[in-house]
Amino acid sequence: MRRRQFLTGGAALGAGVALDRLAGRPDAGGEAGAAGAAPGSDPAAALQRRFAFDGPHQAGVLTERQAHAIVVAFDAITSSPAELAEGVRELSVRGRALSAGYEALLGAPGDGPTPDSGVVGPTVTPDGLTVTIGVGASLFDGRYGLAGRRPAALKPMPVFGDDALVAAETHGDLLLQLCGDTEDGLIHALRDLMRSTRGVLAARWKVDGFLPPASRGSGAGRNLLGFKDGTANPDTGDAGLMDRLVWDGAGGTYAVVRTIRNRVEFWDRVARSEQELMIGRLKDTGAPLGRRKELDDPDYAGDPKGDRIPLDAHMRLARPRTAATEGERILRRGYNYSRGIDEAGQLDMGLLFVAFNRDPARQFEVVQGRLAGEPLIDYVVPTGGGYFYLPPGARDAQDWVGSGLFT
Amino acid sequence: MRPRSPVVVLALAAALVLALAAGCASKNGNRSAARQPPAATVASRVILSGNIPRVRAADFRGPTALYRRHVRAKLKVMLRDVARLRSAAAAGDLAGARRAWLAADERYEEIGAAYGAFGALDAAINGRAAGLPGGARSRRFTGLHRVELALWGRSSTRDAAAPAARLTRDVARLRTHVGRIAIDPLEYALRAHEVLEDTLHLQLSGQASPWSGAALTALRGNLRGTQVVLDSLRPLLVRRNPAVVVRADRALAQLSRALSSTQQRGALPRWDAVSQRGRERLAGLTAAAAERLAYVPDIVDPRPARPVQRAFGDQEAR
Repeated sequence: MRRRQFLTGGAALGAGVALDRLAGRPDAGGEAGAAGAAPGSDPAAALQRRFAFDGPHQAGVLTERQAHAIVVAFDAITSSPAELAEGVRELSVRGRALSAGYEALLGAPGDGPTPDSGVVGPTVTPDGLTVTIGVGASLFDGRYGLAGRRPAALKPMPVFGDDALVAAETHGDLLLQLCGDTEDGLIHALRDLMRSTRGVLAARWKVDGFLPPASRGSGAGRNLLGFKDGTANPDTGDAGLMDRLVWDGAGGTYAVVRTIRNRVEFWDRVARSEQELMIGRLKDTGAPLGRRKELDDPDYAGDPKGDRIPLDAHMRLARPRTAATEGERILRRGYNYSRGIDEAGQLDMGLLFVAFNRDPARQFEVVQGRLAGEPLIDYVVPTGGGYFYLPPGARDAQDWVGSGLFT
Repeated sequence: MRPRSPVVVLALAAALVLALAAGCASKNGNRSAARQPPAATVASRVILSGNIPRVRAADFRGPTALYRRHVRAKLKVMLRDVARLRSAAAAGDLAGARRAWLAADERYEEIGAAYGAFGALDAAINGRAAGLPGGARSRRFTGLHRVELALWGRSSTRDAAAPAARLTRDVARLRTHVGRIAIDPLEYALRAHEVLEDTLHLQLSGQASPWSGAALTALRGNLRGTQVVLDSLRPLLVRRNPAVVVRADRALAQLSRALSSTQQRGALPRWDAVSQRGRERLAGLTAAAAERLAYVPDIVDPRPARPVQRAFGDQEAR
């Protein structure tokens, strides 16, 4: 490591200029270097979108999906219950600050390491950030004396028949879901949150997600299979419905996170009609087969034998639209992900499935049970994820997410 | 750590030039003073630390002398380890050779803080195959890890004989040189956390000892080496910022306890035999210790202070 090399010889000036650029000094990089925006047309306004951290429910659940997401699972590594509680509290303290924005401390001489990473510069804008905190079943084993505090419906995610779970990418004591308008804003937030909980939480696995831009067209966004996904999601504006499907009595919810790899090369070699029969929708408009528009009712009652939409089409199995099954619906809030290639040179990408429900056993698992063995399964491979309980939101700036579990 | 030529005089001169340049620049920067962080906070910080005399390069004489004694003592023991390694290899005793290798490797990791000063000898003793053309097949691949390849990768004591002999010579040579080695004060203070940064980067990533999996014995050595550096600087640190020392001590003790509890029947397991949670815990606590130790170098920075305005700068135009 030679990071102070700038003291020796000719490297000195270059490094000095670089440091000044980071600190935003106009007189170091030339007067024009840091010219501001013309008054009245502030291009930075787009970064000011702000979601309240505090509230009866955590942000990032009903919040309309922002463009980017980072989902990280952590394991607790401290041996002290008090330190653990302090660390979880710190997630709220920092999460609240990051969601609001602030003037960053980039450091002063003699103060040691720079307090802020500086990734987004000296002014940390909110960037539409939501920080959502969850706890996994393993946190409630004997280690921290929390065994009696486990939320009623929280358990480790079971292995489903078609799963190919990788242990290192599954489960975790804690979950952080960061969503926001900018990628660098999310990275800034992640580094801040991890740094302030160093020694308490260690990252276990992480997946980055993205969405197609809204400008791609109306309706639900497309997944990496090229189909519109999320059309039939329950209406988040319907508070009564959300209370029935998403929130438990306390204002918390259960998150089901699943990294579902798509075998995209294989999928791309499948005829359009085959794809559509597996999904149940038209590839171009997203309309149910035999219908015209994306939001048209698939009318399963008028197609009892599956002549139009096969009985084992993904859409039909997932939501049969019968009176008996409507209470099993879940709120999906997933993202696409893409991360490298495997040993056969096949792309590792797919769906970072995130869904919220009151009780995974009565909702997600029932849906999952119906989907077992569906034709689509040849093209998707669940590799990781877990179940997490998202406690209710922090009441105010003195409260923190999870306070009810630790005190 | 790569070798570095310790040119303190030049460095200080360069810093002075920078400081002067900054002084000029700050005159222009004053007009945006309204947007600066509260001046009182900034000033009080500097005055607080200014009440106690700044550390001078000369203040490092004691600490580095202490450290040099540590290095000499460790190299003496390492020389014996390497001798055992050689004779075990010659006798075809694979288990004995591996034990001796683990001892020698841990000893060298204890020295940690001085690698930069060892120059080419460090590369000869502790170089890795990465970065050599041809990798492990390179003729320039020598030292501990070349022997490791023989003993674990090839399970061969015969293949270990020649590199073990070369290793013995290099360690002996280092030991005779070590008394004359200059340790740069700035570099030395940085090692307070950089030894553990290397542990994270090279050992706990599995890169350094891919065949033996000896990351945890290396961590134990690195931990002791870090402790020696911190202890040697303790008098300088305590009167300037006792809180930093307390936090660093606590983090190191925590890591040390976690490492001890990882032992199985008195020995540290291979890194790849540790459970995911076990690895997360040890790596996480190592990172936490590095985080705490990172506050050490600035406290004992022997260079003249740079004007405050430079570090803060103007806020970016909004």
